[in-house]
Amino acid sequence: MGVLYCLMSLGVNFIYGIMKVINWAVGEFFMIGAYVQYLLIVNFLGARYWYVGLFIVAFCTFFLGAFVQKILIKPMFVGIIEEKTEYATIVTIAMAILFRNLAILIGGPYIYTPPDYAPPTRIGPLPLSGNNFIAFIGTIVILAFFFYFLKKTWIGKAFQAVSQNRTGVLTAGIDVLKFDMIAFGIGSALAGVGGALLAPVLLVYPLCGVIPTVRGFEIIVIGGLGSIPGVFVAGLSLGIAESLGAAFINPSFIDIYGFGLLMFILLIKPYGLFGKPERSV
Amino acid sequence: MLKHRLNYFGLLLLLLSAIVLPFYLPDYWIHSLTITFYYVIMAATWNLLGGYTGQFSLSHHTFALIGSYTSALLITKAGIPMWTGMVSSWIFNAFLSMLLGILCLRMQGIYLALTTWAFAEIVKTYIRMDFEFTGGDRGLKTPLFFKTMNPLPYYYLFLVFAVLTIIVIAIIMRSRIGYYLRTIRNDEVAAQAMGVNTVRWKVFVFMVASVFASIAGTLYGHFTGLISPVSGEFYEMALIIIFVVIGGMRSQAGPVIGAISIRFLAEVLKKWPEIRMVLLASAVILIMRFFNGGLMEFLRRGYQRIQQRKGRGPVSVFQKME
Repeated sequence: MGVLYCLMSLGVNFIYGIMKVINWAVGEFFMIGAYVQYLLIVNFLGARYWYVGLFIVAFCTFFLGAFVQKILIKPMFVGIIEEKTEYATIVTIAMAILFRNLAILIGGPYIYTPPDYAPPTRIGPLPLSGNNFIAFIGTIVILAFFFYFLKKTWIGKAFQAVSQNRTGVLTAGIDVLKFDMIAFGIGSALAGVGGALLAPVLLVYPLCGVIPTVRGFEIIVIGGLGSIPGVFVAGLSLGIAESLGAAFINPSFIDIYGFGLLMFILLIKPYGLFGKPERSV
Repeated sequence: MLKHRLNYFGLLLLLLSAIVLPFYLPDYWIHSLTITFYYVIMAATWNLLGGYTGQFSLSHHTFALIGSYTSALLITKAGIPMWTGMVSSWIFNAFLSMLLGILCLRMQGIYLALTTWAFAEIVKTYIRMDFEFTGGDRGLKTPLFFKTMNPLPYYYLFLVFAVLTIIVIAIIMRSRIGYYLRTIRNDEVAAQAMGVNTVRWKVFVFMVASVFASIAGTLYGHFTGLISPVSGEFYEMALIIIFVVIGGMRSQAGPVIGAISIRFLAEVLKKWPEIRMVLLASAVILIMRFFNGGLMEFLRRGYQRIQQRKGRGPVSVFQKME
């Protein structure tokens, strides 16, 4: 399961790397992705074409994220807002509450169960739930695609440059504000696709984004803020710590082992495994 | 001098009206006012931490939850007297917050918010899962503080503690420590360069806020007689932030006014909880976006304008620019 939470933390970490803003509403983008996917599958596409739904979900959440960034986060960089961290934290938390209650208002506090993406399969002797398998494969494909985008394409390289030095990039002719918007959109789309992929596993209800978000934030702190390789190592170690704890101590406290790991990492490496101390000028 | 005396007189009048008020209200409103005082304590201390110092703790409600559970468990399982149980739960919370604070306040940046967010969810899940010990989702019966369900004595108890909290915060903010905290928020590197031990004061203020949260939590637990992990939901934390932001961050009276007015609004709108939250969240976004300062700033500007119309009183920079 560790790999699945990587999508969430990757989205948040990507946004943080570019804008130094934490998107607390990422769980809600996850939830919106799940809802949109459910609507599409039940009303228009049918369970067989779930992969078509993924693209539409990514498209929708991308534009929602970009729109939110344009009206709410962008003023931070044009010089209207002085307290940046405070502003971003409070606004995105309020946004999370807003989306949650809108979901309850529109869809009701019910749990929707989307149809299965695939029947249960077995790999060799291992019986495996088809949904889990598809979510796993889908996540890996998306991550590979994202990495290709980030490392090989021109836009991806521009993103790396923006995260290194915002002012320096301006001299190279890159419109930083526009890239901020796209980055927020991509981060939201990653969360939204995660929601759509995991919809049959975690089901669809207004609070379905909470547990993945907790894991996502744990992964971010363990791996180090703003570090993308850190996400993978942290995701894997979190998954291992959880399964070891579940196997040897007590399976009902599975959520706690990850937090224990986080505390331990904070104790020995305060900035996370791959993080660097922030420098301010 | 006269103005100061008038201010104190006004505060005293408010306090007096708060003391007299319950004699003219039905029990239901006394009950909800008591809960309002709980939120006043929470919002005021969160304002000290998040507003003045700029350190975002997202587990303020969790410290209240831990406080109420610790005290209730100590009293029911170990059989110790009420006051001892409550005080030991406060000490436990101070210890816990110190540990958490030392671990994640050493760094600058947003680590505290990230860690406390995870902490809040984990504590809630633990209480839910370990149902043999904590009662789980069914909740835990707590002994009542005054052995009665009549809300009147609790009203005064909460009033005393709320006033006490506000006084403590006022003292802290007027002392040397208050200036340390403000410098930490404005520029942490500069504060360090001036010789302020930033980590120590950040941990200190985190401890103060968490202990007051646990005081509020224990009182709340022994007032309602039933505690459950529901009060550890993120919704509660969001409510506290909403109170502070709408009332006005970084002002002494802001959280108090915010908590009282929003609680009143919530009682009026209680038939439609979702619409209520949607409205409040949008209000917070709008306030943060367009009008940083909340109700208190609004009142202050209005007051200034009236003073100006009368032809006396200072003209602010803001109005000069107009």
